[in-house]
Amino acid sequence: MMSLSPTQRIIRALAAWLVVAIFAFPIYYWFTIAFRVEKEIFELPPLIFDWTFSGKSFEEVFGISFGYDNGAQQLAGGGNFYMMPRLWDSIVVAVCSTILAISIATLASYALSRMRFAGQHHFVFWILSTRMMPPVAVAIPMFFIYKQFGLLDTYTGIILVHALMNLPLAVLLLKSFFDDIPMEIDEAALIDGASRWLIFRKIVAPMAIGGIAATAVLCFIFSWTEFLFVLTLTQTGLKTVPVVASTFVTSTGTAWGNMAALGVGAMVPAFIFILMVQKNLVRGLTLGSLKQ
Amino acid sequence: MRFNHNNRKRYIASITDQFVKGKIDRRTFMRTAAKLGLGVGALGAASMLPPGGRGGFISEARAQDIVQDPDMMAWLKEAAKPFAGQTVRLATESTPPSNAINSALKPFFEEATGIKVEIEVLPLEQVLQKLTLDVASGLGTYDLYYIDQSWMASFAGDVIDPREKYESSSDLAMPNYNMDDFLPALVDGISMYDGIMVGVPYDIPIFITMYRKDIYEELGLSVPTTMEQYLANAQAIQAAKGPDIYGTTGQMKSGHYSLECDWTCWLWAHGGSIFGPDGKFTGNDEAGLAAMDYWNKLKENMPEGVTTWTWDGQGQSVLQGIAGQALSWGEFFPWWDDPEASKVSGLMEAAVPPAPTTALRTETGFGEIPGVGHQGGSSLAVSKYSKNQDAAWLFAQWATSMDTQVYITTLGGGTGPTRESVYDDERVKANNRVGAGTTRHLDVVRETIASHMGSEPDLPEWAELSNDTIPVELGRYFAGDYDSPKEVMDAIAKKVDDIVSG
Repeated sequence: MMSLSPTQRIIRALAAWLVVAIFAFPIYYWFTIAFRVEKEIFELPPLIFDWTFSGKSFEEVFGISFGYDNGAQQLAGGGNFYMMPRLWDSIVVAVCSTILAISIATLASYALSRMRFAGQHHFVFWILSTRMMPPVAVAIPMFFIYKQFGLLDTYTGIILVHALMNLPLAVLLLKSFFDDIPMEIDEAALIDGASRWLIFRKIVAPMAIGGIAATAVLCFIFSWTEFLFVLTLTQTGLKTVPVVASTFVTSTGTAWGNMAALGVGAMVPAFIFILMVQKNLVRGLTLGSLKQ
Repeated sequence: MRFNHNNRKRYIASITDQFVKGKIDRRTFMRTAAKLGLGVGALGAASMLPPGGRGGFISEARAQDIVQDPDMMAWLKEAAKPFAGQTVRLATESTPPSNAINSALKPFFEEATGIKVEIEVLPLEQVLQKLTLDVASGLGTYDLYYIDQSWMASFAGDVIDPREKYESSSDLAMPNYNMDDFLPALVDGISMYDGIMVGVPYDIPIFITMYRKDIYEELGLSVPTTMEQYLANAQAIQAAKGPDIYGTTGQMKSGHYSLECDWTCWLWAHGGSIFGPDGKFTGNDEAGLAAMDYWNKLKENMPEGVTTWTWDGQGQSVLQGIAGQALSWGEFFPWWDDPEASKVSGLMEAAVPPAPTTALRTETGFGEIPGVGHQGGSSLAVSKYSKNQDAAWLFAQWATSMDTQVYITTLGGGTGPTRESVYDDERVKANNRVGAGTTRHLDVVRETIASHMGSEPDLPEWAELSNDTIPVELGRYFAGDYDSPKEVMDAIAKKVDDIVSG
């Protein structure tokens, strides 16, 4: 590898920082909107650094008192804009649906990777084909089914539909990760008397943990950002962040400060989840990049 | 219980959250809160949930002012006994009345009746989607419908006529409810379709003239009384103040209902109509083309962004002080007067819409009533598929009662009341001052409803035509897809006539 001159290294570092800045700027600007006074949100030219701090949007959305704007302690449980329970709804739905999808997909994909049965190729293609159907085509039939089964507006209902939505992708991704683990390892364990379940639990699954983590992150993000099913299959019992964000669109204008506050708050759980699996995630994302 | 400051706040947040989710009743909540040393004022902030304009908090002092009519609440308590424990559900747009009820007033109804109220607040398009699904399935997932005037005909067969309900269920008829108190023009414009009263008039956003008095005074302009003068004022402001301040502004997003609202205003103001008496589209006649010509001239004095804005962008443009005047929703006025949110607080004034260029057309189709003051009102209806119709009917009466409307008007950010008596109420008049939630524009709103109101036609296809067909083609026109107003109007005529004729 060619060594770089000091100038080249500086240019490379500057370019890297520039790319980071380009990606980070929208997040920074969104963050400032969450914490600025309403009248400055659409200031022209836009205020990048010189804006007036206000905690009002956060107070309204999360019921957290900063004591800045209202002069008195504000309490949780406020008006239409109080979204703390909805953030919790999002966390419950995303975490549970991810656990459910990964649990089923890991077992299914291991079986598809290691076992052979008639029509397997068609079966795998069928799994893939379920992703081809646009969600809007099934949302309304799901509404009727859910109403009949009492799943409308329930955690169970939304967790199930999000898990179902993520299953095909999870199965196919995990199958590719399992395919990358040599079959000989299983065979050696079988000769030593290990059962399939033991091999899966003690040998193959731990080896594929990076891939499982990467798949879990994708499932979590898809559930965290899913809009259509939650809109169609819920009423007032629960709502996730993408759907309640539309609550800020009122007949007299959009409450952008509140929407930004919710957006900033909604980043936190996803950020924490990704942080938790980060170590394995890097392994997972690069797993399979090298073939034997 | 002994709490340090932080623990106390967390505990308050926790019990409030439980109360909001319905896990504890109001009484338990209040008792627990009292143990934490919270007075009535603090409870106001936590449980009366007063809005700060568009869905947030309102001040403790204002929350303490809520004392609903004791006679009405006593009657509700008795009448609702058989329905205690039932839940009624409403899907609604985030409008001032819905926000005020959901954020501040609902607990009073729930405490008196034992009926739980769940309100789902959504953007207008999503409300339409939810209601359409509900009536198509006939499942009654919602007990109450928020019905925009443009959807009235679509849902007329899916609701209970409130007049018939009031007459037939005397034990559930609220004393002194006074149906005659609703402004007659509104009953015709937003509640009646084909002899059926679809719902009770709920709110009334309506186009009024709003202008910057500081700019008008500086440039020596007078309040426009004609459409020509309105255009001339826009041009004068643009010439003197541009490019920092534009002559006027708009809500002209392609494919959005707001674009259709603007169009009808200019169309009616030029003596045109959407439909003729034969049910054919007439927006492409001489008056319709004159309206397009006027609109194009007006657009030259608007910010570039208007073709991407709905009412949100239009409202923001005035709020930011970059537009000198607007003929638009009166609902904006209290928002623009809010010193915390607006750069033009105290600078705006309201006036009735200018007179049309020629006489308003009287021969129209599908009950269309031309008028420069385009109304976008809505009604509150009880679903005929609801399994809790009686409980829903009690809620509908309470929500549209005179007493509740007064609180909606004073707490909800200055909505247009639908009852005559509310305009005269002292509590409403007391808010006639500069500031958030002002009511100083309401005299103009009242006069506009009475003398200048325009109502869109009522036909089952109107929801599709007004929310899709017409604004999509108009959007294409402003994007340059059509060469002339005649071409786009002819294209719209063909599409509309095809849809109407089935």
